[in-house]
Formats: sequence, C-alpha cells, structure tokens
Amino acid sequence: MKKLAKSELKNLLKHWAGEYRVLAPTLGTQGDCLLDTFDEDSFTLDYKKTPLPPKSAFFPQSEAIFAVEKGEYREVISAKKTLLFGIRSCDMMGILQSASFMTRDRLDVYSEAKRDAATTVVLACPGPQNETCFCTTMQSGPVARKGFDLQFFDAGEFFIIQIGSGKGEAALSSFPLVDLDDDLADEKVEAFRQRSVGAIARVDSVPEAMNRLKDRTADEGVWEHLGQKCIQCGGCTFVCPTCTCFNVCDHPSGPGQGLRERSWDACLFGGFTREASGHNPRSTQALRLKRRHEHKLLDYHETDIQGGLCGCTGCGRCSDFCPVHIGTLEVARAIAESDNHAKD
Amino acid sequence: MTRTRTVCPFCGCGCSFYLVSEGDRVKGIEPSPQNPVNRGMLCVKGWTAYEFIHSPDRLTVPLVRKQGALVESTWDEALKIVSTRLNDIRTKSGSSALAFLSSAKVTNEENFLFMKMARAAFGTNNVDHCARL
Amino acid sequence: MVGLAAAFGSGAMTNSIGEFEDADLFLVTGSNTTAQHPLIGSRMINAVEKGAKLLLIDPREIPLARFAGLHLRQNIGTDVAVLNGMMNIIIEEGLLDREYVENRTEGFEALKALVGSYSPRVVEKISGIDRHDLEKAARMYAAADKAMIVYAMGITQHTTGTDNVKSCANLAMLTGHVGRPSTGVNPLRGQNNVQGACDMGALPNVFSGYQSVADAAARKKFEDAWGVSGLDDKPGLTIGAMMTAALRGEVRALYVMGENPMMSDPDSSHIEQALSSLDFLVVQDIFLSETAAKADVVLPAASFAERDGTYTNTERRVQLSRKAVSPPGLARPDWKIICEVSRLSGYPMDYGSTADIMKEINLLTPSYTGITYPRLETSHGLQWPCPNEEHPGTAYLHRDRFSKGRGTFLPCDFRPLAEPPDEEYDFLLTTGRIYFHFHTGTMTRRISTLAREAPEAKIEIHPEDAKQLGIRNNDMVEIASRRGSAKARAEVTTCVPKKVVFSTFHFHEFPINALTNPALDPSAKIPEYKGCAVKVRRCA
Ligand code: SF4
Ligand code: SF4
Ligand code: SF4
Ligand code: SF4
Repeated sequence: MKKLAKSELKNLLKHWAGEYRVLAPTLGTQGDCLLDTFDEDSFTLDYKKTPLPPKSAFFPQSEAIFAVEKGEYREVISAKKTLLFGIRSCDMMGILQSASFMTRDRLDVYSEAKRDAATTVVLACPGPQNETCFCTTMQSGPVARKGFDLQFFDAGEFFIIQIGSGKGEAALSSFPLVDLDDDLADEKVEAFRQRSVGAIARVDSVPEAMNRLKDRTADEGVWEHLGQKCIQCGGCTFVCPTCTCFNVCDHPSGPGQGLRERSWDACLFGGFTREASGHNPRSTQALRLKRRHEHKLLDYHETDIQGGLCGCTGCGRCSDFCPVHIGTLEVARAIAESDNHAKD
Repeated sequence: MTRTRTVCPFCGCGCSFYLVSEGDRVKGIEPSPQNPVNRGMLCVKGWTAYEFIHSPDRLTVPLVRKQGALVESTWDEALKIVSTRLNDIRTKSGSSALAFLSSAKVTNEENFLFMKMARAAFGTNNVDHCARL
Repeated sequence: MVGLAAAFGSGAMTNSIGEFEDADLFLVTGSNTTAQHPLIGSRMINAVEKGAKLLLIDPREIPLARFAGLHLRQNIGTDVAVLNGMMNIIIEEGLLDREYVENRTEGFEALKALVGSYSPRVVEKISGIDRHDLEKAARMYAAADKAMIVYAMGITQHTTGTDNVKSCANLAMLTGHVGRPSTGVNPLRGQNNVQGACDMGALPNVFSGYQSVADAAARKKFEDAWGVSGLDDKPGLTIGAMMTAALRGEVRALYVMGENPMMSDPDSSHIEQALSSLDFLVVQDIFLSETAAKADVVLPAASFAERDGTYTNTERRVQLSRKAVSPPGLARPDWKIICEVSRLSGYPMDYGSTADIMKEINLLTPSYTGITYPRLETSHGLQWPCPNEEHPGTAYLHRDRFSKGRGTFLPCDFRPLAEPPDEEYDFLLTTGRIYFHFHTGTMTRRISTLAREAPEAKIEIHPEDAKQLGIRNNDMVEIASRRGSAKARAEVTTCVPKKVVFSTFHFHEFPINALTNPALDPSAKIPEYKGCAVKVRRCA
C-alpha cells in the first residue's frame, strides 16, 4: 500500500487531469455537491452522496448508439479515458452489479467500452453519509471489497492507498508516493473498517422483507397503498446504481439522416410493459412497484449478499430522492412490519 | 461532461436541476439536491426535459414569407423586415395598432425587455402574455 | 390574480412550497395538483401521511381524491356558491376568527349579509353537494390551525374566475387563515415563469412590480430611466381584446414571443381569423408552432438550455438558470433579438448580458431591488419582496398586515356558467392538463418517454353516459360545441361526473380549443376553459 499526504491530494488530481478526464466531487456555488469534471477550486472532500450514481459515466441518461449520415450507417461507441475519484463503496458495488448485467447475455459494447476506459478510485466511508445509508446490511460498504482500481482511506494527516488492479497501479506509477509497510497498513485499514462498520446500523427489516418476499408472506396491501402514492417520476430508477433499463428511440432529422439513441427507462412507467395491443401485464402502479422491489430484493436473498450480490447496494438514494418516500428502506419496513401474511 | 444549473422549463414549481452536457449536446439531467423547492427530486417531465432541446424540429434560421410561403432567410433581412413593418404600421395607424404578446416561458429579463420595447420603443401598452391562461 | 390582489394587495401565492409539509389542512380546489404541479402534490401526500387533512372540492375524481378526508364533487361552475355556503355555516356557528376579522380586515358586514342567503339547502340545490358534507367541510376548515387553500386554473378559468378567487380569499380571512407559516391562499402558477411575466410588467396596465401605467410618478420614473417621454397612461389591450381588435382592423401588427395562441386560446377559429386579418405577424419561438406557421416573419429563439436568465416560480422565488449549450444553427436568445429589433426601430438598447438587464430591473422594481446576480449565483434563489441587498427574501406574505393594509372582504354572488348545457348541447366540456404533458405539448410531445406514456388525447366520459351513447373504452368519439368539433378516443371512467366530458389541450391533432368558450371573466379576462356546452357522439 501507499501513503499520500493530504496536502498532496490536489496535486495528484492535477497530475491525473493531465492524463485522464477526471470526475471528482465538486462543490457548486449554491452548495450542491456533484460528481463533475475536476476543478481545483471547486473540488471538495466534504461531500455526501451525489444524486446520480457513477453509473451515469458508463451508462449516460441518453447516448447515440448509431448514426445515419447521408445514408451511411455508423455505430457510435464513445469512450474517453476517465478517472472517477471519490466514489463510495456502495457505488463501486453498483458498478460491478450493472457490469455483470451488461455482460451477461450479450456484451453491451457501449457501456463496456466506457468501463474499460475508466479507472475507479474509491474513497472509503468513515461512517454513514446520511441517515439512509445501509451498506452494512447489503455488505457493499463502507469499505469496498473488490472491483476498485484504487481505494483511499482517510488516516488523519494522510491517505492510505490500496491498489486493487493493474489499472490502479498504472495510475500511480508516475507520481512520487511513499510506500507503507503492508502489515501496518493492513492494521490501520482493518481498524478503519471496524470503526466504520460499527457506525453504520444494520437495517434488519431489509433481510426480513427479503425473506417474506421469498416465502410469499408479504402483505399485498403494501403495494396497493404505495401504488396510490407513487407519482411515476422514475426518480428511484434513475438514481439507482443498479438499474440498467433503457428505451431505444430513433430521431430522424431528414432523408438518410438521423440518430438512434438509447435513454434511461423505468419499470414504474405504464408504457414500460404496455404491449402493442394496448394490453398491459403490469396494469397498475401497485404491480409496477411490486415488480421493481422484487427485482431489487427478491431475486437475491440473504446468502447472496455475503457474496456481494444483490439488486440493491444499500446506497439509500431511492429513499433520499423519492418525492413520496417509497424507497427500499420504506418498502422493506412496510413489508417487515405488515402483519397480514398473504396467501399464495 | 459538464453540469450547468438551470430551472425546469415546465410547471410553476420551478424545480432546479443541472443539465449534463458533453460539448454542445445535453445528455441528461441531475436534480439539485440542496434546492429547497425540489430537494433532489423531480417529476417525470423534469427528468426528461433534456430531450426536446435537440429535436430536429427546432427552428434554426429566420424564416420570411415570400409568395405565400415561409422561406429561409438571414437575420439581417428578417430583422429589417420586422422593424420596417412595425414602424410603417405605427406611422400609418398609430402605436395602438401594434400589439405585443410576451411569454410565461421566457426569462424575467426577456419579459422586462419585451415590455420595455413595447412601451418605450413603440409607445404602446398593448402588451400581455398568456398567464391568464 | 386580480381577485387576490384586490383582497390582499398582492396576487401571488402567500406561502412557500417548503411550508406544505407542515400544514394541518389543505383545501384543494380546481387543482389536479399531482398532474399539474407534481412536486407540490407530492408534498401534500407526504403531509397527509403525517396526519394532515385534505379537503378536496373538485367535480372530478382526481388522483388526490384517494387522500382526501372529504371530497365534495360540486357541479361545474358552482364554486362561489359552495364557498359562500361554507362561510355562511362558519358565521352561523360562530367558527370565525373574530379577533382577526376585527383587527386585520374590512367589509365583514357586507360579506355576512351576502353569504347569509347561502343556506346549506340553497347550496345543495345549486351545487349538488349534500348539505351535511358542506357543514363538515366548513367545520374542518375553520377548526384547522394551519390551513392552506390551494387552487389553480380550475378556479380561475371560468367567467366567474375572479369571483372564485375572491371567495377563497374571503373564506381564508374569515377564519384568520392568512399571514402565518403554512397558512394562506395559494394560487399555483401553470407555467414556469407566469409569475415572472406578471412581475416584469408583461401586462397591459402595469410596469414591472405592478406599478400602474396610470400612476404619473411611476411613469416619470420609467421615462427618466428609459430616456423617453410621454409613456402611455392608459392601459393597453389584453390578449383577448388584441384578437378582437385585430378582427376589427384596429390592431394591424402583432409580435408574439414564445406563445402559441392558436393552440392555447379558446375558440381557435376566432383566433385564426384574427391572426389572418393582421397586416403583419412576427413570431419568435423555438419550434414552428401553429401560430408561427401563420407568421410573416419567424425568428428562431434559444431554449432554456441555451440562455442565461432568471425565472420566478409560483412561490415568488427568483432563480438563476445558466446557459449549458449553444443554440442550434442561427437561433438566438430572445433578449438579444429584442435588443436588435429595438435598435433597428430607432430605440437602441444595449445590454452586454442578462445581468445588466437585471440591474435595470433592480433599479426600477421595488420588490426585486435586492435580487441581484451575485446573490442568485450563490443561493437557491430569493423570494420577493426583497427590497434591498441585505434582505433575505420573504417566505410568506401578509405577516402582520396585508400588503394593502387591511384585507378586504369582497363578497360575490353566485353566477351560473356562461354557457350551460341545453337540450342539444347536453354535456359540459371541461379541459385541463395531464401529468405527462405540458401546455400545448410543443416540448413534451418531443420527449420520447412522455410521448410513449401519453401518445394521444383522450376524452373522459362517465360509464353511464358512455353506455347510453354506445361508447366503449377506446372508441373514437366526437365532441362538438357551437364553435367547433374534435375527435379523440374515449376513456370511460368514473373520474368524471355524469354529463361531463374532460379532455386536454396538449395535442394539436385534437384542437380542443376549437370548442371552448371565449366568454371572459369580466375583470381577469380569463376565458372559461372549464365549462362549455357540447354534444357527444360515437364516430361510426
Ligand atoms: S451506503 Fe455506505 S458506502 Fe454508501 S455512501 Fe453510505 S456509508 Fe458510504
Ligand atoms: S434500490 Fe435504492 S438503495 Fe438499493 S441500490 Fe437502488 S437506489 Fe440504492
Ligand atoms: S421515486 Fe417514488 S414516486 Fe417516483 S417513480 Fe419511484 S416510487 Fe414512484
Ligand atoms: S420537474 Fe415537474 S414538478 Fe418540477 S418544475 Fe418541472 S414539471 Fe414542475
């Protein structure tokens, strides 16, 4: 492991900016903190969770996938050499989750090209970033176990840097860093991890809800109630680091001219499953919500979590950004607390 | 990727979000987490507000009616026709023969200038917008 | 707006969006909030979940109805009677806030005399609302501590729109429900800068900040600042009057910026004739709208993403929006186009940026004086009134006194719809918005997700009426008024009451404003979109 004096961090980022497009936590003049192009003056370490997870760097809200120009077809695969600094470990898990989906049946060249060109630098969380963090429940954080290229630990005056891959190693190769005795570093990292895990409460209602969904003992009335509240904004899906659904749409701009674009879609929209006949297998908002949450919680269960495998990373964004509080936490609580055990 | 803070162009809530752009193309939306109006939330219209910006149907050149049809023109020609015709009608029929319709979709600055133009440049209070609607 | 300004001294929303979640009761009327103002609707839902009560007065069973403690489905156009009836009960039962009425208002005796004739039985006859429900509603509202009245176009878009608004104001003052956090009267503005367009004086009778053109001192101030003399002291024409004047040949030229009256205004064939009779029509817009297609000159403008500037939302919050990308092709921001037209017309206007324009607004508009770019740059906006650079802005209005001093009760009698149904035109058509689209649809219909979710117009009709007319879900249906007709697919639903059909104006293929009634409210000049007589038939 390596060691970097805190005062040197900006220099390292500037060094990287010469070689990569660096995305880092950035504080806007109004106080919003987003993951944006690194800028020395607005860079900040005092940030929580950004509304959009880093998935938007691999799978942007909209992107052209092919263009037709003067009748000629051209596939558009765009990837820039990018370094993402300061992603949270829950989001690192989100990147792995979506990558496993994007490579499962057939290779999604558009997002994989971007992932190939990206170097991920995790900044381990010293504690919960806000009241909706439940990474310890989903075992995705607060310290990343895998997938990262580099992981930084705040050790007071300096950062301990854990190297996770060859890409990570390459990123550090031309910057002078102090080596750290591995045993000592391991000890410090473990102490960091224990402190941090201890600070982030486990949310028992989540595994409880997973079990109830699996045993089909969840109260169906929960979905009815939540379905009435949902305003169909799509927000819970758009901010979710593991949601990967998209819609494809052609934008002709003249004869022999046009773009095919894909853009984020959400299973909470009626049109997502509406068939050409007008029939909709998920005809109500209650059914759509049920479907979303089953996808997050049912398709996996407690043992999968151990292996770092779940449709939900515990980042808490859906709870942070649902206008009517239908996040995974609220849903899990509602299921876990419901008494009625529905029959099959 | 660049993030630029804007205000949702649709309803009167005035939710605030960042346009995520690459070069001259807007690719998506990121809501403002701190804004007291929307606190990082948006409705579906806000979440998708980036898409019409690059619609191929956007007007990109001034159009002028010639022999009954609107044809592409230049700013010089179009602006000259506008100012000449407005001034001619004003001279012939008076300021009250001119009317100006402003918009609840454009900025405060633009609304202010538009009413200033109606009143100070063309001498009429015939200025309104569709807010009543 | 006119009604509220007359009662309180300001026509704007009295409270802030952030205050919704702390209210005890909402009286929502004429606002399908979750569709039209979703992020205010969601706050109401959250408040109800925390224990707030929702009192809904709406003929339609809108989504919020699921959260309503009480839903009064009055006959369309009978709002004044319902509100008067509630006030009558409140006075009769002694539920009014006497101290508040005494200390902060005027005109109570006249109100008392007028509403006295609106007994629950009378109101039941006019509005169809069960008198016991009316009593419950009156008591609910009067008993609540922090009560917010919330309304939108369903209240204003009637020939009695101003009366409807005044009646809301009367009810709020009677019970002391104005001038505290989470307590007030809240008109929700339909478009993102309606409030700003009004504030900036894009109105025939006032300069920016509602300074009257008839006021000599105000004129002098603007004349000095603008270097002109003899600014017109008589109010100009409203949009409806402009169209009529165009037909009469009195208005010869029209300059339209960013609007589409051909789609958005009532009785579109009348508008079309008016526009055709002009000598000159110039339209400045981002798309070739139906109105632009009729123009002599079309000027391509920048969209919100391509310009700097501020917008004022429904809670009076002025926010700065920045340019993200360049306009397409030769398109330019509206403010630059205006400067050019003005310069070529002999009145140069030189501004280097929108910040320069704001400096002039600060100077000439007392409520905006403290709203400067440097402050907006580092904040999430400022709510007017904000009279100086140290002022934090104003979250809620009329705190210790009304903007005009005392609040004035403005009693109004019930007047029936301008065009009630008759034997031939036996249905009422009421129009509104749906969640997935906005205004005339020029923007939202070009968004693929929204176009997929709501691809076409629907005519909502009650199952019993549908059965009688042999209409099934998704059948093509024609509705016709005395002015025009339009066809769309039926949606058979109990959301609409019997003998009422509902539809929207988002779809140009379904130009519903060919049917609507241009009869205007006499003072606010808002057309009656919310009720006109139509006949309905199934297309063969
Ligand atoms: S969920 Fe865990 S890893 Fe994610 S931000 Fe919160 S504390 Fe950090
Ligand atoms: S479901 Fe919610 S908490 Fe889980 S990963 Fe997605 S946004 Fe985060
Ligand atoms: S964020 Fe909430 S309101 Fe929006 S779609 Fe998801 S569950 Fe529904
Ligand atoms: S995001 Fe939705 S609620 Fe917010 S301003 Fe836009 S249209 Fe209105």
